[in-house]
Amino acid sequence: MPMGHTATAEAGSGGLTATEHRLANGLRVVLSEDHLTPVAAVCLWYDVGSRHEVKGRTGLAHLFEHLMFQGSKQVQGNGHFELVQGAGGSLNGTTSFERTNYFETMPTHQLELALWLEADRMGSLLAALDDESMENQRDVVKNERRQRYDNVPYGTAFEKLTALSYPEGHPYHHTPIGSMADLDAATLEDARAFFRTNYAPNNAVLSVVGDIDPEQTLVWVEKYFGSIPGHDGKPAPRDGSLPDIIGEQLREVVEEDVPARALMAAYRLPEDGTRACDAADLALTVLGGGESSRLYNRLVRRDRTAVAAGFGLLRLAGAPSLGWLDVKTSGDVEVPVIEAAVDEELARFAEEGPTDGEMERAQAQLEREWLDRLGTVAGRADELCRYAVLFGDPQLALTAVQRVLDVTAEEVREAARARLRPDNRAVLVYEPTTAEAAEAAEAADAADSADETDEEAAK
Amino acid sequence: MTELATMDFHPQPQAGRPKPWAFPAPQRGTLDNGLTVLRCHRPGQQVVAVEVILAAPLEAEPAGLDGIATIMARAFSEGTDKHSAEDFAAELERCGATLDAHADHPGVRLSLEVPVSRLAKALGLLADALRAPAFADSEVERLVRNRLDEIPHETANPARRAAKELSKELFPASARMSRPRQGTEETVQKIDSAAVRAFYDKHVRPATATAVVVGDLTGVDLDELLGDTLGSWTGSSAEPRPVPPVSADDTGRVIIVDRPGAVQTQLLIGRVGADRHDRVWPAQVLGTYCLGGTLTSRLDRVLREEKGYTYGVRAFGQVLRAAPDGTGVAMLAISGSVDTPNTGPALDDLWKVLRTLAAEGLTDTERDVAVQNLVGVAPLKFETAAAVASTLADQVEQYLPDDYQATLYQQLASTGTVEATAAAVSAFPMDRLVTVLVGDAAQIEEPVKALGIGEVSVVAAE
Repeated sequence: MPMGHTATAEAGSGGLTATEHRLANGLRVVLSEDHLTPVAAVCLWYDVGSRHEVKGRTGLAHLFEHLMFQGSKQVQGNGHFELVQGAGGSLNGTTSFERTNYFETMPTHQLELALWLEADRMGSLLAALDDESMENQRDVVKNERRQRYDNVPYGTAFEKLTALSYPEGHPYHHTPIGSMADLDAATLEDARAFFRTNYAPNNAVLSVVGDIDPEQTLVWVEKYFGSIPGHDGKPAPRDGSLPDIIGEQLREVVEEDVPARALMAAYRLPEDGTRACDAADLALTVLGGGESSRLYNRLVRRDRTAVAAGFGLLRLAGAPSLGWLDVKTSGDVEVPVIEAAVDEELARFAEEGPTDGEMERAQAQLEREWLDRLGTVAGRADELCRYAVLFGDPQLALTAVQRVLDVTAEEVREAARARLRPDNRAVLVYEPTTAEAAEAAEAADAADSADETDEEAAK
Repeated sequence: MTELATMDFHPQPQAGRPKPWAFPAPQRGTLDNGLTVLRCHRPGQQVVAVEVILAAPLEAEPAGLDGIATIMARAFSEGTDKHSAEDFAAELERCGATLDAHADHPGVRLSLEVPVSRLAKALGLLADALRAPAFADSEVERLVRNRLDEIPHETANPARRAAKELSKELFPASARMSRPRQGTEETVQKIDSAAVRAFYDKHVRPATATAVVVGDLTGVDLDELLGDTLGSWTGSSAEPRPVPPVSADDTGRVIIVDRPGAVQTQLLIGRVGADRHDRVWPAQVLGTYCLGGTLTSRLDRVLREEKGYTYGVRAFGQVLRAAPDGTGVAMLAISGSVDTPNTGPALDDLWKVLRTLAAEGLTDTERDVAVQNLVGVAPLKFETAAAVASTLADQVEQYLPDDYQATLYQQLASTGTVEATAAAVSAFPMDRLVTVLVGDAAQIEEPVKALGIGEVSVVAAE
């Protein structure tokens, strides 16, 4: 039965509150009421992602996510999709390094259906899982991999850079999409074992957000999920911690049929959930977030050596985060020209730190991104689950904006000084192959990197 | 199968009582300078969305300067009489705002999103951009070079490459619609600031523009705010520009864009058909959804969920250009990608799906589920201010009444299975579809020829 109850209204969250509950089987439940629109979001995070996969079975968490849409004891075939869409809802699932999530947004009066569906597959997926859906979804996922990574220019950059950034054997060395060989090797028994190990109520957080009656919602949650047995067999994930600094510059040159040269790099940054990570986020935003950033002004506006230049942040809680640099060159500009300019800008920033104007802009941008994410019931439900699963406290979702606004310019400078250095990055250089270059090139060193990418969706 | 779970099972719950929801009705007005304004208060939406529609369609681009509308759209955020390009970008970001601008067949659209607390400042910047864009030589030159650099990236992208080929095939070479929206190397390199300025002078003025403002406007004096900002934009009056008629050749045929070594084939199968002014539109929406709107529609039921040939194939109708007299057109198409070895079998199955649909029609259950989805998702789909603003702007751009979307839901609900079937079958007739395949010709040409879905030709990717 439900226990525990907190409610806070924090600055920056627009007066949003969330309450927390726990069923006897260990399922954590987070509820947040908002009656502006007659919709309700259901979000379920399972604490399992590609970091839990073992050698030879990369891509299993994501392939399994697809199998969750193939029916369960009381839901036939594609019934999960059919019933939700037929009720005027929308739904999907995604897999990342650290979690797998499933979500439905429903018109208010169909909320109970979404809870029933999620409970049915949490408790009884194996009653329906068979070879036919395994073989079919294996093919679908392989086509997903082809479509999103193998058949587009620079499509495998993410998995190459991830493999460079995290050493062989590290749980984040491979990305969620997995390798073709491992997708081929996965068996039905692997999938069954994966379910038994990871898909238990005590390894999940359920959030329900929107136009809900919390008491009624809890009654439904207890009714549908309450009898699913908990299970404690999940092994702890392999340790993802690494030294703060790589200590050398890792590098790979890829010669491929791409339209232009590119410089990509991943800097090792503090783990998500720390103030240092928020400081790094602001540093990346000042340097490469948007069209008034230092790198954009330097490379695209002034030097005119790049078509596009920017930084992104991949926040990770169980391993160092990654600061993601992506520059596509203009015309016949060579990569060393870009690299020298990037290094110069990063060094100058580490020296002088952000100006007041830059801090204001970076914080305003990150604040708006938070408003966007919390502005829909589905976005809010996802963030509540994220903070509950990764940091043990969903309330942190409602105070996240304030934490970003609290960071000082000196902390931002320090983050850049400590982390945004040439000896703390993995670099990926793309050199296009042309007819003549192909002859001259010694087969590049398109090293047999590893696998993956950020998020895979079932739909 | 093993392992019957030990949980308690309950019957599938019944739906509760639906709560009323309606697509919001905007309030329409005109500023003194002739600018039409649609506003819509959406409680709780702290990020306000503003859309501005300019009557500067692609067919108005001067001959040989395809892409100038795109360069102009981008140049709006590259400086004004008050700010340099860098300062303008910085000021926008200081508001936590984003400003996107793009040019398409009906005209140029600017989309601003900003937290309501900084709306006044951001609207001021938007007004400056429209009223007094700098169009500095060096900035336009940079945008032109940047645009030229983008083209090879688009050519290398299978989906973009397919879209370009389909337009070229469907429309006569003289029609603007046959050519890339953002221009080619040849046309873009001829664009300079004087030409951009001339295009702006000729086609951009408040009297032919509309602004849509949506969000939580509690405590915002929007009239005063608009008066101080977009109200200061001036310009002469102008007659509405006539919309040229569109013709298209949908003779069934296949064009393979050769991409040696491709592991998948990108499919784009299309033609043109009715737009929203046509009475058939609701039935066409319904029928198209049943054919390929989602993972459980007919195409994916076979191609994805039975055969595993693809990650997903979708059928859709997208308005290209509407006209006040209802003579506009929409692109009706099926798109997706399939693995190279299964290209022939996948197309064979796709045509079988079309054949079965024509022979047997949709079922009542399919129609019911589609209606329940299309109508039921409306409150979800329009939760954000940006979604509402974008749809209101589409309506304006397509010469539709402000209550069009609200009415569409009623029409969908009253469309029957027979009408939906007829609309789907006439939208996707088996012998009147132009098929573009971006893939490895050496591997797919023979199997595709064997299908007999039209004459097959092969063109180079670049």
